[in-house]
Amino acid sequence: MGETITFWVLAVVSVSAALGLVLSRRAVYCALMLGVVMLSLAVLYAVQDAPFLAAVQIVVYTGAVMMLFLFVLMLVGVDSSDSLVETIKGQRFWAIVAGAGFAVLLGLAVGNAVLSPPAGLLGATQTAGGNVPALAQLIFTRHVFAFEVASALLITAALAAMVLTHRERLTEKPTQRALARARFLTGGSVVLPGPGVYARHNANDMPALLPDGSVSELSVNRVIARHDVEDERFPDDPKLAEAIKQAVEEESK
Amino acid sequence: MNGIQPPTIEYGQLMPLLLVFGAAIVGVLIEAFAPRYLRKAIHVPLTMLTLLGAFGLVIVQVLRDGVPTAAVAMGAIAVDGPSLFIWGVILVLSVVSVLLINDDDNFVASAAAVPGSPDEEEAIARGGAHTEVYPLALFAIGGMMLFAASNDLLIMFVGLEVMSLPLYLLCGLARRRRLLSQESSVKYFLLGAFSSAFFLYGMAMIYGYAGTVDLGGINDALGRVGGQDTLLYLGTALLGVGLFFKIGAAPFQAWKPDVYQGAPTPITALMASGTLVAAFGAVLRVFWVALGNLDWDWRPVMWGIAILTMIVGAILAITQTDIKRMLAYSSIAHAGFLLTGVIATGEATQNANSLSALLFYLLAYGITTVGAFAVVTMVRDAGGEAGHLSRWAGLGKRSPALAGIFAFFLLAFAGIPLTSGFFGKYAVFAAAVAGGALPLVVVGVVSSAIAAFFYVRVIVLMFFSEPAADGPTIAVPSAGTAAVVALAAAATVVLGVYPQPVFDLADAAASSLFVR
Amino acid sequence: MTTHYLVLSALLFAIGAVGVLVRRNAIVVFMCVELMLNACNLAFVTFARQHGNLDGQIIAFFVMVVAAAEVVVGLAIIVTIFRTRRSASVDDANLLKY
Repeated sequence: MGETITFWVLAVVSVSAALGLVLSRRAVYCALMLGVVMLSLAVLYAVQDAPFLAAVQIVVYTGAVMMLFLFVLMLVGVDSSDSLVETIKGQRFWAIVAGAGFAVLLGLAVGNAVLSPPAGLLGATQTAGGNVPALAQLIFTRHVFAFEVASALLITAALAAMVLTHRERLTEKPTQRALARARFLTGGSVVLPGPGVYARHNANDMPALLPDGSVSELSVNRVIARHDVEDERFPDDPKLAEAIKQAVEEESK
Repeated sequence: MNGIQPPTIEYGQLMPLLLVFGAAIVGVLIEAFAPRYLRKAIHVPLTMLTLLGAFGLVIVQVLRDGVPTAAVAMGAIAVDGPSLFIWGVILVLSVVSVLLINDDDNFVASAAAVPGSPDEEEAIARGGAHTEVYPLALFAIGGMMLFAASNDLLIMFVGLEVMSLPLYLLCGLARRRRLLSQESSVKYFLLGAFSSAFFLYGMAMIYGYAGTVDLGGINDALGRVGGQDTLLYLGTALLGVGLFFKIGAAPFQAWKPDVYQGAPTPITALMASGTLVAAFGAVLRVFWVALGNLDWDWRPVMWGIAILTMIVGAILAITQTDIKRMLAYSSIAHAGFLLTGVIATGEATQNANSLSALLFYLLAYGITTVGAFAVVTMVRDAGGEAGHLSRWAGLGKRSPALAGIFAFFLLAFAGIPLTSGFFGKYAVFAAAVAGGALPLVVVGVVSSAIAAFFYVRVIVLMFFSEPAADGPTIAVPSAGTAAVVALAAAATVVLGVYPQPVFDLADAAASSLFVR
Repeated sequence: MTTHYLVLSALLFAIGAVGVLVRRNAIVVFMCVELMLNACNLAFVTFARQHGNLDGQIIAFFVMVVAAAEVVVGLAIIVTIFRTRRSASVDDANLLKY
């Protein structure tokens, strides 16, 4: 009885989260929805006599994989969202039709199979003394080669990340002295304000002021500025409003 | 709490595989510890010696112990006749491909630098190079060997990924036209991951049906299990989707031209030869060993796929204007020809005949393909390789030897007598006729004729049209590239004139069929 | 009960497949692939209990290892192309056409 209730609750949760993953426009919401699916599946594993997999699911999937996804989303811009324009006409419609057909096909195929009641894992785990020892026995005997070869995958992954994203420093890192010299030689502003010196607020949406009292455009938060322009709610300070508009214009270029 | 019985691993028989993986790991250590200026000087001999050594081990093993008759590594891997032959073929093709990879100027100086940025210019000026390509290529080669020799679906899946992950990465490392290269990498990766998800779901269904992922165990379950046929059919279909994607059979061929065009040409050569061989090894294992008794059910579908693949490959090749895309479509058509051999099952002798024909075809096609791509790397203009066909006009007048060799490779693709392609096609089609697939052979011959039309058009273009004034230059080949072209041409001639020894070898490898 | 789990896994798999086809942000497409792999794992775990042998759980374990490695490679490739183009949409990647 307990299993039935758990299943139905989690089935509804995971299917709605999966639909949310496909339907929500913002990539971050998609990632969160995927996390929900993964957590529900972890519970379903635990219910089905797979406690070790439930733990691994949480550690590897929701822990490592999801973090990596979120990390990359932050890297490429958290406000990236899909445009809803179809490039191939009717693609979405036909994809959904095909997907629905595929779901029905899969559902009929697995639903029509005449299955005996589950054998249960009691016999398999009891002789070894529990789920984890039983899995260990299989991994280190029957499937030992797959286990060893999986290390090739992990090495490849590490190498891939290094090759594609690690930039080697080709020139010496400029010292503070060199930076100061360069600044003086170009005749830019010689003394930069210390952080917070000219700030009137510590709120994130208030830009910093430069020594001459003008708004520093660098400090205008792009995401908030975009919302401000979309909703046409500008601050009273005309200088600030101007800076926000400019920031958004530059962003859209 | 019971102790675990230590597993038995037949290290002797697995040695070629272990050698390749071991050398890949040593290569990674070299990346970590050797100084930059020494790395290439260590990698190249290491990689070549490893591949040649593994090839030598395969031969020694066959001579000393004959063909093993039982699965090894606790039943995970089947080192049987076909496996050993395929290992030999993959190793030969990889040696040749590594000679191409070794050629400078094909790989990016710094993959992390944005194309066109000052960083990139500086990396090029400083002569930066990614020597990581050698260990990555070794991992991919090890994955190919594993994929073709797997005896259960789990190891097949792991092998598939070990083979694919380095290739996804290597595709994005071309030195020139980097946007194109990165794009091909993303496409290959997303489609590859999509297809392996299908493979996996098929595997789940088969496991649900049989209760095991052992290929022999699945075969045993075919007669025993009742009432779950839907699981079996669904699983077969989904496994098929995953495998057909890897061999590039229609309608799952869409990635092939894009990836072949975008990837660095030496990597294209490795993919077009090695991956195809490995994937056919896996196809044969799944459909002959595990699902052999189900052939009445999968054969009609595979008929359709083979016909579609041959026609799509041959017809779309005609419309191509880029030499690498054209070779990609030709590879699709060849995958179709090979599928006719997979269909031609029957009695044990018939199976052995088809298998031996397929093995010969894979060797002949693979070596010619590497040669053709080697020629492509040599025809260059200012922006790198001159891919567009119009740039190849009049090549025969500027560089008759090179154009002649390329024409010879094209004729081998077309299956003209006195080339290896002729005997390959002849053997596969003969086996297909004996297996009762006459209509397929008719389609095969017709599409060969269509494809031949296009190959001849390229030859005419090379020899009978005026060279463009600003036409591409023929790069003076490095020793490696020259050796590749010479080797491939020699192999194509020898296999086309005196194929008997290799046929005998393939027969011997195929006669014992697959172990279960 | 087994059938229920299998239908759930089939549903999740199909939703993931549709997601791959309709979404265009490469990262989201990849998330949909991960959803498909998760659906496969659910099927494996369910069948393991059905048959009373642990092979299914072992396979699910290996799928997680493979998926972790695949995510690293995939995201590295996607970040590279994003740095070049400032966009992760698969539509903007359209240089390769015949």
